[in-house]
Amino acid sequence: MNARRLLTSCAALGAWLATLPPAGAHRLDEYLQATRLSVDTERVDLEIDLTAGVAVASEVFAWIDTNRDGEISNAEGEAYARTVLRCVVLKVDGRPVPINLVETSFPQFRDMSLGVGTIRLRATAKVPAASAGPHQVAFLNTHRTESSAYLVNALVPANPRIQLADQRRDRAQLGLTLDYTVMADAPSARTFVLLAGLLMAGCLFLRGHSLMQIRRARAVTSSSSSRMSCPHGS
Amino acid sequence: MPMNRHEWTALSVAFAATVFRPAFIFLALVFPVGSQQRASSPPPVTSARKGTVTAKVVEAANTFLATLTVAERTKCTFEFTSSQRTGWSNLPTGVFQRNGLRFGDLTSRQREAALTLVAAALSREGYQKVTDIMNGDEVLKNAGGGQTGGRQGGAGPGRGGGVRFGLDEYYIALLGTPSATSAWMIQFGGHHLAINVTVVGPNTVMTPSLPAAQPAKYILNGQTIRPLGHENDKGFALINALNAAQQKHAVLNYEVKDLVLGPGADGKVIQPEGILASELDASQQALLLDVVHEWVGILNDEAATAKMAEIKANLPHTYFAWSGTTKNGGLAYYRVQGPTLIIEYAPQQGDLNHIHTIYRDPTNDYGAKFVRP
Repeated sequence: MNARRLLTSCAALGAWLATLPPAGAHRLDEYLQATRLSVDTERVDLEIDLTAGVAVASEVFAWIDTNRDGEISNAEGEAYARTVLRCVVLKVDGRPVPINLVETSFPQFRDMSLGVGTIRLRATAKVPAASAGPHQVAFLNTHRTESSAYLVNALVPANPRIQLADQRRDRAQLGLTLDYTVMADAPSARTFVLLAGLLMAGCLFLRGHSLMQIRRARAVTSSSSSRMSCPHGS
Repeated sequence: MPMNRHEWTALSVAFAATVFRPAFIFLALVFPVGSQQRASSPPPVTSARKGTVTAKVVEAANTFLATLTVAERTKCTFEFTSSQRTGWSNLPTGVFQRNGLRFGDLTSRQREAALTLVAAALSREGYQKVTDIMNGDEVLKNAGGGQTGGRQGGAGPGRGGGVRFGLDEYYIALLGTPSATSAWMIQFGGHHLAINVTVVGPNTVMTPSLPAAQPAKYILNGQTIRPLGHENDKGFALINALNAAQQKHAVLNYEVKDLVLGPGADGKVIQPEGILASELDASQQALLLDVVHEWVGILNDEAATAKMAEIKANLPHTYFAWSGTTKNGGLAYYRVQGPTLIIEYAPQQGDLNHIHTIYRDPTNDYGAKFVRP
């Protein structure tokens, strides 16, 4: 890199730094994107909550209200939700999985303009049934990185077969890589009842078989003894 | 009466045991029942005094209700199971519409009776914290502040416009009938404060609740007040009591810019992170419990003592996570999470003068453990 290029780069960096808010200043200009992931053996559910700060609320609203009528129609809401999801990459065991939008809800512009209205997106990704053993899910959200703050967390799985392990994030929480283990299917109570039933049947059979043998033996003994005890019988 | 599945199982096993004992022993070894690890739970508090607080709170509630007109009483009371129970927020009026009675609409006698009720349910220190938060909100209003905007409690100016806060904008509601035996609830809150106290017989529960502060430091009558000063200072004391190896476990390598489980996140439990309390020595564990007590101890001493015993018993399963600087005076987020506890402390949008916190019990929010469905 020559001196002129270095100087130009430094000047650009300085200009960029000058535009940043001072440390400790109020940050009104953030678009908070909070995601919660639920991992199961055949699906990963996403809850994405988007809240625009006061200073960016109008801008965010304009991204969604494309016909500028001051309201977010169902079509506009869905279109925006799909735009967000296009910026989300979800990988399970290294393979990207398609994310399907399930539900959306959008606040009124008034609430958004106060910096408190939250857009709620619910989405799900069907994944190939996970076999017992270690697995990994990786999430990355790059929607509007220029003005956003991010939170991403994994919910404690509802399925007791899933055990979450290591979590790794980048500093800004755009992404989360989550290791987890699918435990082998434990024998259910029904299996236990079935086994107990089979065992009981087996025991009954064995006992019945033994009784029959005893009876046969007794019959043989009785017949021999009667023959012996009745030497004059024939 | 037909037998259920468990009874059939028990009968089958008993029968099998009598006829084929070795096989039964083998099955018992192969299929252990109920072997999953569970967080320990302390024995119930058997203090002779347990329940005395309930009597005091019920009396204070009835005294407050007696000050109200029929119309006011109707406005103030709800069914215990109504949606009002989860309808709380830290946001100011105009952004979030609370139900119940607005303090600005009460007479001084009614207001005093309402605050006496809140005080009866809380500890002396807890009530002081609540009043410090409320006074701070009044200071914010008078300073024309609240411009932080932002999420979960951001506000416009306290006067004018549709957004209002300050002392007059706190609301009180009662859910259910005040009783020494059946479940009921006190809901008290406004901007930067949501206190939910569920009373079920001798038990009182204060989860979920959200104590917050803006400004985090102000001067009133010549005194410097920091409503959440202990939460800040004790958190920094704890992180700095950890050695380098422990800090490596406790400090998250990413920024946390807001509450993860704020209002509206009822029933959510995130995967815990940070350092396990079992990796701390006794003095560090004592510091952790001291941090936790800042939230638990808002509630009356009787209930707080029982809750702290439960948290102490679950300490081996409790995590402490930290994000941000470890130098007191800088920005830092922390979280304490155990089987029956979630606490978050989160400065808002890089503003040290604007703090949100949340206190939850994923197993007992709104007294779920004690309330029969």
